[in-house]
Amino acid sequence: MNWNILIFFYLALAMTFSSLLAIISRNPVHAVLWVVVMILHQAFLLYTLGSEFLTAVQIIVYAGAVLVLFLFVVYMINLRKEERWKVFVSKSSYGFIIFVVFLYLFFKNLAFLTALNPAFKVQLTYDLSQGSNLLWMARYLYSHYLFQFEVIGVILLVVIFGAVFLLRKLKEVG
Amino acid sequence: MVPFEYYVILSLLLFVIGLAGALFRRNLIILLASLEIIMNALIVLFAAISYHTKDISGYLIVFFLIGMAAAEAGVGLTLAVLIYKKLKKVYVDEINFFRG
Repeated sequence: MNWNILIFFYLALAMTFSSLLAIISRNPVHAVLWVVVMILHQAFLLYTLGSEFLTAVQIIVYAGAVLVLFLFVVYMINLRKEERWKVFVSKSSYGFIIFVVFLYLFFKNLAFLTALNPAFKVQLTYDLSQGSNLLWMARYLYSHYLFQFEVIGVILLVVIFGAVFLLRKLKEVG
Repeated sequence: MVPFEYYVILSLLLFVIGLAGALFRRNLIILLASLEIIMNALIVLFAAISYHTKDISGYLIVFFLIGMAAAEAGVGLTLAVLIYKKLKKVYVDEINFFRG
């Protein structure tokens, strides 16, 4: 039992419990803040997986932009608390049985799921003695994955246009 | 070095939690937050694959996934605000204005 395993177990437990609390808390502000906690732990998990650049991107983009956007929307539409309702699908207990069966099948076939294919061909190798992880990511991002990189930029631009277009003030016609 | 199976189990747990949140909650905002949890399960899996196979592609796919998650949150929250402006509520079982 070395330090890597201990740190991994701490991060895994913290991520699991914070995401559970995020989906069971009644107050939307608390739910979004629990998602922030999970994302900060996941940023450290990405650091232990050897990519410091993705740690920075995760904190800046997810915790800094996306979740703050969620908080803005929660404050803007001003919902206090979600009331408890009766179940609106009768026979919903069958759903839990199917859920448990699926979980059983997942864990039964775990060896199949977790086996990395031995015929997997490493295409884009990197060597940490020749430069950091960030340097290798930049090399392949601007050469091999250049088209996908540009496509992500276009998608984000379209999202900005869509948000501005959909939320504009409508003028009464006629 | 942490075995690869642990990362797959963690990713599976996060995916199941996010799926349960997306299915059982009525609030549209929390539904979108559950989609973010599912996206984070994918991020853990791709980063672990990239770390264990010494192939850089997984890290780059994580980079693209974070961009896609930002785009998806932007579109989803825009629609949530539109629905709130129309109905004054964001509960997904009460949104029925497409019914003829």
